[in-house]
Amino acid sequence: MDEDMVFDPSLKKKKKKKTGFDIDAALAGDQGESTSVEAPAASGDVDLPEDDNLDLDNFGKKKKKKKKGVFNMEELENTMPETPPAEEQEPQEDDVIDDLDLEIDFSKTKKKKKKKNIEEPMIEDDIKGEDQENIEDTTGDWIGTDRDYTYDELLERVFDIMREKNPSMVSGKKQKFIMRPPQVVRIGTKKTSFANFTEICKTLHRQPKHLLDFLLAELGTSGSVDGNSQLIIKGRFQQKQIENVLRRYIKEYVTCHTCRSPDTILQKDTRLFFLQCETCGSRCSVASIKSGFQAVTGKRAAIRAKTA
Amino acid sequence: MSIQNLNTFDPFADAIKSSEDDVQDGLVHVRIQQRNGRKTLTTVQGLSSEYDLKKIVRACKKEFACNGTVVEHPEYGEVLQLQGDQRENICQWLTKSGLVKPEQLKVHGF
Repeated sequence: MDEDMVFDPSLKKKKKKKTGFDIDAALAGDQGESTSVEAPAASGDVDLPEDDNLDLDNFGKKKKKKKKGVFNMEELENTMPETPPAEEQEPQEDDVIDDLDLEIDFSKTKKKKKKKNIEEPMIEDDIKGEDQENIEDTTGDWIGTDRDYTYDELLERVFDIMREKNPSMVSGKKQKFIMRPPQVVRIGTKKTSFANFTEICKTLHRQPKHLLDFLLAELGTSGSVDGNSQLIIKGRFQQKQIENVLRRYIKEYVTCHTCRSPDTILQKDTRLFFLQCETCGSRCSVASIKSGFQAVTGKRAAIRAKTA
Repeated sequence: MSIQNLNTFDPFADAIKSSEDDVQDGLVHVRIQQRNGRKTLTTVQGLSSEYDLKKIVRACKKEFACNGTVVEHPEYGEVLQLQGDQRENICQWLTKSGLVKPEQLKVHGF
């Protein structure tokens, strides 16, 4: 009976087994064993000084991905005797950037990102290599034998299966959300043109009107889309400034608040906008666009003449 | 590891706290507006009416070396106006003086 369970490769069986498992006992066993089982990996880590800060990038993502898993990942994470706590202590030097850019590449301007791109594949290889070793170490052990499997072995097996089932998780990073940088050109002295406005709307899968409302509210100006489908904004703006605003828009209205996937739909439902994620299925309301207080900046006499 | 259902987490903890000892509720919007040339204007909307905005503006004017005023708006209440791009300054000042919590600040504009 027991052996049948072991050889069953399906995920569901596994899950049942998990829940039936005495968690506390597993924990106790886990703490004892974790040192021995994870020892090779740990020593590997020590050898690579840059491993830590690179892992930092992956860490948040890994966690995210795990959440998508079918079973209760938080439990697993808590019991995982790996490095996360140490990583968390790492100074998050690019915290701010990470917060803002959310994988949005305005390919030309982001130099930091590019550096990461180059570095990341290398680490991933490292991690993969480690994992593979671990799996080989642990998985084969109990198969065919009569003894009880340990928690660690099962854990490894679950992750092994998970990696098999969705390879995108293995790489540990989400697909980058790459978009063309906004083309911002000054028209005369007082107006700015946002040339590829409709194109960007299309890449974001958002109504041009919605983005237009947001841009104008944030910049506190007025503007309109002209015949060549470019946006004319009153006031002087640089590309960098528009990028900032776009980034904020994407953070609020494009990426899923739960899983950060850009694969979302914005729906209007009873006067509120809802963001429906296509990847994880979450649905949450997003803030409505309000321009708020607008100070009088023009000539008061002219305004008075207009209204009167 | 704990079983989630048995966690002693009070979901209303922060709601109770904020209603008790905080004067400031809701977001404070800090915006920037362009004027003619490279001049700008910073507006601070949503500060609690319990605060004396005139005193705040007086302190800010001195601190940032700029002019400023308080404008009454029918919908948004009293709004602070400062000359120039004072978004950084005002955010720091408001948090440092303890009038507004950092998470209540919302900075708009480019």
